[in-house]
Amino acid sequence: MLTLYDYELSGSCYKVRLMLGFLGLPHETRHVDFHPGREHKSDAFLAINPLGQLPVLDDDGYVLRDANAILTYLASAHDPGGRWGFGGDAARNGRIAEWLGFASDLTGTIGAARLHDAFFHDIDADAARAGGKRLLRILDEHLWFQERQGAAWLAPGDHPSIADIACFPYTALAQDADLDLADCPAIRRWHDRFKRVPGFTVMPGVFPARE
Amino acid sequence: MLNDEQRRAWQPVASSTDLVARHVFAGAIWGQELALWRADDGHVNAWENRCLHRGVRLTIGVNLGSELMCQYHGWRYANRTAGCTYIPAHPADAPARTICNRVYPAVERHGLVWAALEGTVEGAALPELPMDGLVLRPVPVDVPPAEVEAALAAEFGRDRVRWLVQPVDAGRSIIRGVLAEQPAEPLPVLRRWSARLGRLRDRLEALPRPPVAPIPPELHRVDPALAGLPEPGPAGTSLRLRVARKWPVAEDVTAFRLAPLAGELPAFQPGAHIDVALPNGLTRQYSLTNGPDDTAAWVIGVKREPAGLGGSTCLHDAVREGDVLAVSPPRNNFPLRRDGLLTLFIAGGIGLTPLLAMARTLHLARLPYHFHAFARSVAHLPFVDVLDGLGDAVERHIGLDPAATTAKLEAIIGTQGEKHELYVCGPTPFLDAARAIAAAKGWPDTAVHFEYFKNERPRDASNAFEVALARSALTLDVAPGQSIVEAVAAHGIHIPTSCAQGACGTCRVGVIEGAIDHQDVHLTPSEKARGDCLMACVSRAAAGRLVLDL
Amino acid sequence: MSSTEKVELDPAIRDAWHVCAVAADIAPGATAMHCLFGQRLEVARDAAGRPVVRGDGRVLPALERYGFIWTSPGTPPEDLFPLPGYDEPDRKNVVTGSVGIRVSAPRAVENFLDMGHFPFVHTGILGEEPHTEVKEYAVAIDPVADEVVATECQFYQPRAAVGSSGGAKTEYVYRVPHPFCAILYKTSPFDAVRMDIVALFVQPVGEEEIIGHTMMSIIDDRSTATEVRHFQLTIFGQDKPILENQRPRKLPLDPRAETPIRADKSSIMYRRWLTSKGVAYGVIPAP
Repeated sequence: MLTLYDYELSGSCYKVRLMLGFLGLPHETRHVDFHPGREHKSDAFLAINPLGQLPVLDDDGYVLRDANAILTYLASAHDPGGRWGFGGDAARNGRIAEWLGFASDLTGTIGAARLHDAFFHDIDADAARAGGKRLLRILDEHLWFQERQGAAWLAPGDHPSIADIACFPYTALAQDADLDLADCPAIRRWHDRFKRVPGFTVMPGVFPARE
Repeated sequence: MLNDEQRRAWQPVASSTDLVARHVFAGAIWGQELALWRADDGHVNAWENRCLHRGVRLTIGVNLGSELMCQYHGWRYANRTAGCTYIPAHPADAPARTICNRVYPAVERHGLVWAALEGTVEGAALPELPMDGLVLRPVPVDVPPAEVEAALAAEFGRDRVRWLVQPVDAGRSIIRGVLAEQPAEPLPVLRRWSARLGRLRDRLEALPRPPVAPIPPELHRVDPALAGLPEPGPAGTSLRLRVARKWPVAEDVTAFRLAPLAGELPAFQPGAHIDVALPNGLTRQYSLTNGPDDTAAWVIGVKREPAGLGGSTCLHDAVREGDVLAVSPPRNNFPLRRDGLLTLFIAGGIGLTPLLAMARTLHLARLPYHFHAFARSVAHLPFVDVLDGLGDAVERHIGLDPAATTAKLEAIIGTQGEKHELYVCGPTPFLDAARAIAAAKGWPDTAVHFEYFKNERPRDASNAFEVALARSALTLDVAPGQSIVEAVAAHGIHIPTSCAQGACGTCRVGVIEGAIDHQDVHLTPSEKARGDCLMACVSRAAAGRLVLDL
Repeated sequence: MSSTEKVELDPAIRDAWHVCAVAADIAPGATAMHCLFGQRLEVARDAAGRPVVRGDGRVLPALERYGFIWTSPGTPPEDLFPLPGYDEPDRKNVVTGSVGIRVSAPRAVENFLDMGHFPFVHTGILGEEPHTEVKEYAVAIDPVADEVVATECQFYQPRAAVGSSGGAKTEYVYRVPHPFCAILYKTSPFDAVRMDIVALFVQPVGEEEIIGHTMMSIIDDRSTATEVRHFQLTIFGQDKPILENQRPRKLPLDPRAETPIRADKSSIMYRRWLTSKGVAYGVIPAP
C-alpha cells in the first residue's frame, strides 16, 4: 500500500499527488499539519524524515523523502509503460534530469517567496522573487521554442514527463509569490496543455482547464 | 489619466500564434488589461480583463470555444458580443440581455493581433508591415516604452527588422519584431534574436532609473439598469438584418438566415425569440434556432399558415434573399436551465425551433439530454441536418395519430427522475397533452417548461376595472375591450410587449394586491395560483381592483 | 508581508477592535512583530499572561478573544462582538490558520458571504455542478446589534463539513458583526439543533493586503484538529487566487461599479452597510 505524508497547500506534495493521479494509483493520505501546527518538526515526524520536510512516501515499508526522488521512484516502480520517467533515449533522460534540477530551484525561489508572503516564514522574499522571475523567463523562452518545434513538453517526446510534473506546481502558484505570469505566455499555454492530460488533479490555488 | 492618443492608437498585443485554441491570453495596453481569446470559429476577442459581476480577471477563466466562462461564478459570455448568456446561480432565469463585458476593437494582421482602447475595427490604422515576414519571439522588458524604442533604434537600427514596442504600462513594454523575409531556416534566426533581445532587456533593466508608477485601470460604470437587480427592458424592432439565405427545410417550412448589415448581432440565449416586422405591417415572433457556436447570423424557421392573418405567407412569398427586415433584439421568456441531471426535449412540428437552440447548447456543453421530435411525415420534419448533428440524443416519431402520440408521450415522459427537466413546444393540443401527462405523472410545475406559439384559449375583455400603479403612484381605469398595456400606455407608461396574446411572456408585470383573471397560456398553474404576476396584454382583474408593481 | 503607506482612518474603523495575532503564537515573555494599517506592532504578554500591544510609540488597547489577540488604534468599545455558542463545553474550538492575501479586507468578507461560487471554486466540497442554484434567502440589518444578518440560506453541498460523508442540503446563517469580520453558522452533521460556527477575522495589514484568520467552533468528537484545519485551509486556499485576481482590489461601494444578481443580496446589503457607517478603508467610496 502507498501512503503519502501530505500537506494540501504544499506545492511539493502536490507533485506527488499529480503523479499518483496520472498513474491512477490508489493510496492513503496522512495529513501533516505544516501550517499552522508545524507538525513536520514534531518528534514523531522527524522519526520518519529527519530533515523535517514534506512530502514522504511509504510504499509497503520502503520510505522515501524528497519530491524529485519520489517522482523518479514512482516512474520506475509503478509506470509500466515507462512514459513518465527515464525510459526513453539518453537525450530525453538528460533533459528530464536537467528540468528536475530546475524544479528544485523553483521551490527555492518561488516556493520560498510564497512561504514568506502567505505563511509568514522568515525569508528574504524580494531576493527569492527576483530569482523566481529569472527562472520564469528562462522557462518561458524554452517552452516558446518547444512550441515552435511542435513539442508540447519540457523534455523531448510526445508524452509529458516527471519534469513537467516537477515544474508545474510552483509556476502555477507564481501569483502567490506576487509574480505575474502575463509576461510568460508560453508558460501559461503549457499550463493549459498540462491541465488537460488525463488524470490531472487540482490543488487549492490551481484551477482546472475543462475540455 | 490616459490621453486620446494613447486610447486610439492601435497596438500589437499578441502574436497570432499566441492565441491557441481554448486558451485565454493576457495582454495589456498602457495599464489596461485585456483578456484575449480565439473562439472555435477563429474570431479573436479582446475584452476588458474583468468580469463585470465581481471584478474577477477573465484571464483565469475558461475558453469554452464559443463562450468564455468566468472562474468565480461560472457566468458565460458569448463570443464576439461579450453578452452574458448564462448565470448558474439562477438557472431558471434568462440573464438581462444588456449584461455585456467591455469589448475592445481587435484585428489580426501580419501575424500579429492588434487592439485599441477606443475606436472601431473599420477605422484601424495599422503600420505598413511586410506581408510574409517572420514574427520574432516577443520579449517583455520592465522599462518604459520610449526608452525601449530608443535603445532598439540605437542598438539594431531599422533596416533588417521592423520593431514594434507594445506599451504594456508606463514602466513596462514588450519588444515585438518582424523580419522582412522568411529565412530558409527560421529556428536559428529566432534563437539568435531571442538571445540578443534578452541581453538588451537585462542591460536596460539594470540601468538606474526612478520607479515609474503604473497607470491605474479605467473603471467604467455599468448601465444604471444593471446596478439594481436586472429586469428585461423594452425593445423595439431596432435591428436591421439582411436575409442572407432563404431555403426550404421541410414541407411548408422555410428557413431564413438573417445577417447584420455591419458589426455583430447582440448576444442571445437559447430559447430566445425575435419580433420580425414584415413588409405588410404585421409583426411576428420567431424563435432563434442557433447554438452558442453559431452567432454570425440568426436562423429562424417559418411555417406557412394559410389560415393565418398573412404573416407567414408574406415571409414565404414576398420576402427574398437580399431583403432587409426590421427585427427586435432577442428576448428570452423561455430560459434553459443547465443544472438538470437530464433534460428532456419534446418538440411537435415547427415547435422544434427553440428546443433546437437549447439542445445545441447542451450538446456543446456535453450535458445529458434526450430530444424527441414529432412530425406528420418525414418530409414535415424541419432542420433534419441540424438534428443529424446532435446524433444519438435525437429520436424521431413520425406519422403518429393522436392516440399513438399520446401513448408515445406517456412512455417518454414517465415519472420524473431526480433533477430531470422537461421542455415542450409545439401546437396547442400537443402541448396541452404533454403538460397534462407530466402533471398526471407527478412532475412539479417547476420542472415542466413550455412555450406556446399562440394563445388559442377563448379570451374575455368585457369587464371594466381599476388598476393602481404602486411605484408610479397612479390609479387609472381599464375600460371594456381595452388591455392593461393599452390603458397604462395612455398615461405614458410603457410595458414591453411582443405577441399581444398572452403566449410569449414579455409583458409580465408584478401584482402586489388583487384577484387576477389570468387569460394567458404563458404562466404555469402554480404561478397563476401564486397571483403575484400577470400578462398585461390579456389578463385582467377578476373583481374590483389590482395593484401593480409599476 | 511588507507594510504599506499610512493613511488616515475613518472613525468606524479607527475605533473598532482588530485582530492582530493568533493568541497561541504569543508565548509568555516573547515579543512578536505584526502589522496593522501599515503600522508595525509589537505583540507580547505581561507577567500575568495578559496581551500587551505596542505601536505608534504607545501602548494600544488589547484584548484576547476567540483564540486571537485584538487591538485598536482608536477608542474601542469595552468588548468585542459576542459569539453565542462558542463557550459550550462540548464544542471543538480550533484556530484553523492564517493566510496572507493581496486583497482588501471587505473583498475577503464579501467572498465569505457568497454562496454562488461554491460549485466553481470549492468543487466537490462546498458545491458541485450542476447544483448551482442559489435559492431565495432573507437578508436584513439587525438594528439592535448593528450587524448584517442573512438567514434561510441553503445550498447543496457534496461535503459541507470535515465530518460529512456524503452530499446534503446545508443550511446557513451569516452574520457580519464588524466591517472586517464575518461569521457563518451551518448545519452540523452531528447535531440536529445546534450549528457549527466558522469565523473569518480579517487583519488589514494594508488597504490591499490582509491576513485572513479563520476559526471553527464545531460539534464533532470524531475529527482531529489537524483534519479540521486541513479542511478549512483547503477552502481558504481555493478562495485565495480568486481574491487576488479581483480588480479593483478595494471593494467598490458605487452601486454601478459591478453587476449584482439576486444571489448577491447579502453583498448588496453589506456594501450599503459599509457606506452608511462611513467606512473608507479598503473600499472605493460611492461617488
